[in-house]
Amino acid sequence: MTQLKKSFPYLVSVLAAFLIVGILLWALKFNPLKAYETILFTSFRTPNGFIQTLLKWIPLTLTALAFTVPLSSGKFNIGAEGQLLVGAIGAAAMGIIGKDLPMPVLLPLVIVAGTLAGAFWGLISAWLLYQFNINEILSTVLLNFISFALVDYVATGPWRDPAAGHPTTIQIGQGGFLPMLVSNPPLHSGIILAIIVAAAVYYFTSKTTAGYELVVTGANPRASKVHGIDIRKMFLFSMVIGAAAAGLAGAIEVAGVHHRLIEGLHSNFATLGMIIGLMARGKNSAVPFVAFFIAILEVGGSAMQRTIMVPVQIVLIAEALILIFILLSDIIKRRQK
Amino acid sequence: MEQDNILTMHQVCKSFDKVVALDEVNFELKPKEILGLLGGNGAGKTTLMNILYGLYKADSGSIVLKDQAVTILSPRDALNHGIGMVHQHFLQINNYTVLENIILGSKVSQPLTSNYTAEAAKIKQLCERFGLDINLSDRVETLPMGTRQKVEILKALYRGVHILILDEPTTNLIPQEVDSLFETLKIMVKEGLSIVFITHKLREVLSICDRITVLREGKNVISLTRKDASDEMLVRAMVGDNMDLDKSIMFTDRDKSGSAITKKETLRLEGVSKVNQQKIQELTDISLTINAGEILGVAGVAGNGQRELAEVVMGIQPVSAGKLIFNERDITSLSTKERIAQGFVYIPEDRLADGFLNKASVAHNLILGYHNLEPYSRKGIINWKNVNESSRKMITEYNIKTTGPGEIGGNLSGGNIQRVMIARAFSQPSTLMVAHNPTRGLDIPSMDFVYQKLLQHAAIGASALLLSEDLDELLLICDRIAVMYRGKVVGILPKEKFEKYEIGRLMSGYELESK
Repeated sequence: MTQLKKSFPYLVSVLAAFLIVGILLWALKFNPLKAYETILFTSFRTPNGFIQTLLKWIPLTLTALAFTVPLSSGKFNIGAEGQLLVGAIGAAAMGIIGKDLPMPVLLPLVIVAGTLAGAFWGLISAWLLYQFNINEILSTVLLNFISFALVDYVATGPWRDPAAGHPTTIQIGQGGFLPMLVSNPPLHSGIILAIIVAAAVYYFTSKTTAGYELVVTGANPRASKVHGIDIRKMFLFSMVIGAAAAGLAGAIEVAGVHHRLIEGLHSNFATLGMIIGLMARGKNSAVPFVAFFIAILEVGGSAMQRTIMVPVQIVLIAEALILIFILLSDIIKRRQK
Repeated sequence: MEQDNILTMHQVCKSFDKVVALDEVNFELKPKEILGLLGGNGAGKTTLMNILYGLYKADSGSIVLKDQAVTILSPRDALNHGIGMVHQHFLQINNYTVLENIILGSKVSQPLTSNYTAEAAKIKQLCERFGLDINLSDRVETLPMGTRQKVEILKALYRGVHILILDEPTTNLIPQEVDSLFETLKIMVKEGLSIVFITHKLREVLSICDRITVLREGKNVISLTRKDASDEMLVRAMVGDNMDLDKSIMFTDRDKSGSAITKKETLRLEGVSKVNQQKIQELTDISLTINAGEILGVAGVAGNGQRELAEVVMGIQPVSAGKLIFNERDITSLSTKERIAQGFVYIPEDRLADGFLNKASVAHNLILGYHNLEPYSRKGIINWKNVNESSRKMITEYNIKTTGPGEIGGNLSGGNIQRVMIARAFSQPSTLMVAHNPTRGLDIPSMDFVYQKLLQHAAIGASALLLSEDLDELLLICDRIAVMYRGKVVGILPKEKFEKYEIGRLMSGYELESK
């Protein structure tokens, strides 16, 4: 009963968002029912659709965790985009430099290099916060811009692939490719990494004392400090862990999908990650599920564009509306008290 | 009978969510009397008067003023009917003068100028009539608490009230100021006003009130004149039948011969000073010792450095100069965490900011600071089964009203949040407890429970630093009392020399000013 009661606002939010989108589609002279059907069922109709959904789910889950883990301690990491890109740069660089290494050596190196590079990018903001109390929202956002320039620099520099018409590096060594779990349609093994990370984050925040300290810091930093918790260390730590997750997402995009660094590879994962994090109300354990739902919408949205020519932005509107309604439901709940 | 009353409230009910705050409460006030509205925290006294003053709306019930039913929907209505209220926290603008504070929000004779001669004359007249000695051009922030309260009373008189409600008016006053307040109240009654005096202090009621009404858990218990009232009757009425008065600390004369104080020193502060980031001197050259088994009280008007002292002892804020010696070891540079590991425990004053996690569960709250200890955790892994089990035990022992360890802290009421903090503090063996206003917001049996716990804690040889604004509380259970004024310790009195007025004199900085 309580479970049903809890999920009620979510259900209503989704329904209301779809209703509004439906009206919009109808006004644009599309068939809303057909659009709904495409959005919701593409993922489950064909093996390809399902695997596409899983492939979206990987970076979405990781970038959402990049947002929610720092949020557990009360800090806002808006820089998952930059951390993902720097992670991708790190992974590509390692894959190109060590391109002749055998897979058992190169693959772990690529993944670790990407993760550490992302963590380092987050560490800059975290350290500025720790040392000088510089607002992390500002520093993470600003570092995003620097990361775009860095990608351009690397993708147009000595490693540039002259055959490509778009800023792109040459391919990383074969040993750095993530092995495929299913070859046709292709599903790479990055999904295992994402599942492990999501499970580890859940275990860490709910079962360990360090995770407890993280959560209570987020609940009331001042009271946590009064009771002996080093909250500044918690801020630093959570920011770096979050950034590492984003870096891993970048590494997986390189090692699993593109096999090279491509400008624009970050797509809108980080923004969606934040939306997912907010829909999950910052709850790490809910992130994988919300991410899966958003992945369905994303895949369905692309399919809708292809089959019935509805612009894919409609799905973004739907996602934004769902979030707005969920946040509204909080306010309504508070008013009722 | 009814004609005698200047004010009658009939069958007033009020609920907040599911909590019934007032259950068919009746209330009568006669002309020219001081009525004591007595009860512990959560009894509904303030709620009832807030309804009368228009701050809350009653769910049902009626108000009859001089034989006429009235509806009061806002403080403005209340003032129009001649009802005024002085709150526990003064509603004053610190950097305004007394005059400006008094006329603020009322109509003035020359609205386009700042010429308030007419108003000042009227207020001076009131001062004379009621024997209030206040300089109208003083800024209120420079005034002592007792005078600021008189400004508040004057504010109500200026608006022509004939019924004045005072909510726990003696809370922040030193004994001398309390006496002076009582004198004023007597004059006011002589001049024709009726006064409602809300309090939880028995002695005050018996010394000033003509009639006494006792509330408990939102219900009328008794109403009687002072002649008919006895200590015992009122105590029983306030606490109910469930409390064992023979075991209580508050209502029995305690035999101190069994005291466990030894000569062994637990904590010593040597010349501790603290200057904050704004370069304001918060603590000046404080030297204190606390022995094993001793409860050292710290008295003072709120905001004279008590909080800073507590936080310096706990290592939450660093000292600017001086040393802290704990069991003959210099601990000045130890972190809060390290001090907790040494057996320091802290009950902070500001429970919502410093002591409680609104957004986490009751269980999270109950283990805060001790989460690294067995049985709560082992090798960095929390054992939630043990945590929940201990939480349930604490919930029962400390009478915390909650649905269980998993409930979100923010759902708890103030008194229950305080109980969570008390339970947490006493859940671990400790060598030094720093408690700042630990009984704030608790009902009488719970207050007594805290005193019993503190004394048991002392009896096994542990020490306590009890900072409190409630002088009666300090006099009741402390072995010595240090008095703070403007960040200094201006006197330390041993138990033989406990004397209310002497402490009050120190609290007001008399010693210091006269030098």
